[in-house]
Amino acid sequence: MGSVDNKYTEQELVFLLKAKDEKVFSYLYENYSAGLYSIIIQIVPDREQAGDVLQEVFVNIWSKIDSYDRSKGKLFTWMLNVARNLSIDVIRSKSYRNNLKNQSPDEAGYIEIDYSANTTVVTQRILNSIGLKNAVQQLRPEYSNLIDLAYFKGYTQEEIAGIEGLPLGTVKTRIRSALIQLREHLK
Amino acid sequence: MNIQEYISSGIIESYILGLANEKETNEFERLCMHHPELVSARISFEEKLEAYVRENAIDPPAYVRLKTSEAIRPFTRDNSSKIVSIQSTTKAAHSGNRLLKYMIAAAVILLIGSAYLLNRFQAQNERIKTANQALLAKVNAKDSLLREIVGEDQLMKGSNMKIVKMEGTSTAPQASASIYWDSTSESVYLVVKNMPKLPDGKQYQLWASVDNKPRNLGVFNATDDKVVILKMKNIRKADAFAITIENKGGNITPSLDKTQATGKTKPL
Repeated sequence: MGSVDNKYTEQELVFLLKAKDEKVFSYLYENYSAGLYSIIIQIVPDREQAGDVLQEVFVNIWSKIDSYDRSKGKLFTWMLNVARNLSIDVIRSKSYRNNLKNQSPDEAGYIEIDYSANTTVVTQRILNSIGLKNAVQQLRPEYSNLIDLAYFKGYTQEEIAGIEGLPLGTVKTRIRSALIQLREHLK
Repeated sequence: MNIQEYISSGIIESYILGLANEKETNEFERLCMHHPELVSARISFEEKLEAYVRENAIDPPAYVRLKTSEAIRPFTRDNSSKIVSIQSTTKAAHSGNRLLKYMIAAAVILLIGSAYLLNRFQAQNERIKTANQALLAKVNAKDSLLREIVGEDQLMKGSNMKIVKMEGTSTAPQASASIYWDSTSESVYLVVKNMPKLPDGKQYQLWASVDNKPRNLGVFNATDDKVVILKMKNIRKADAFAITIENKGGNITPSLDKTQATGKTKPL
């Protein structure tokens, strides 16, 4: 189905989404689910939970498309942020955190995920080597840690300053420098 | 503010990835309205990010697709699939009656034939609907463009619109632009007709003179021969307008020796 990639322009897609046309769903899912899922699973590593989040992301895209403002960014950026925000809501929820506490620290760090049809087992460690996390891992350690806390864990800069015991100004500067470096790694 | 420094400060990445706080977000969106180069830098990062995420995409488990399409259905307009159930009520025919058997067989064949035709018609109907939908989307996209144009036209004819013709100075006699200034909404539109090409790193800047003090109304690029309408910063009062050449991103005070065009507003 590689040829469907350019079936709609972004503008047409937004229009059809606003018209809530069910047929555009297949197109949307085929073209965007894997990209969005890759961000979700890097935040919510459990495959089943990540699948639930993906479903919620599409429901949100579907029901909240009217809040998308083209002058503020591309449709993909908007969808990516919907996916990230919902994923972070999940990992910061009470029930999720209580669940993690009940696991031994080792399990919590390396949640095993039965991944894809070939039943490969992907661990947290492997997740670090794919997608956006891979680009983040290539940064200097003090940078990648901050981006991990800010982007994949959803902490505010104030919270990060508390966690890391650093002045807020230092956190701000380092995150900015990290983002500038990250841009270069997105090749 | 030096816009080039701002562009390379990491703010674009921070904004796009959703890491900017409310204040930074508001400032970024405000600056985007006046600095096209900021917008193109933003789009270029967005494209880079999208390409990267797509390249590193991970297929979700197959069952999620079905669950998801069910989950969005309540938000979908109509189109719910109609389920037609056919209940078989034929009772077993008496074994002796051959004619009845033939009739039942014929009826079954007829039924299968009709079902096949119905199926074909439905498939054809779907194809036509899809084609229609695509066409509709195209028409609507064009329609919204047309509305934008009509809107611009109405704006130009608005009753409170003051028109200030700007004449080229001796430095740039061929320069030509007009200000459309709506004194009710305080909106300022600049219709640029002919502003010559600029050296690299330079931009035009529009100024309003208010009580003999210059007020910056924003920067714009050379337009060659095209007529371009630009929305500039709003202003309530102005005695005159002037266009100067400044370094990219604009200046705090106008370089008056490089004035390209000027125009006085009519007395209020």
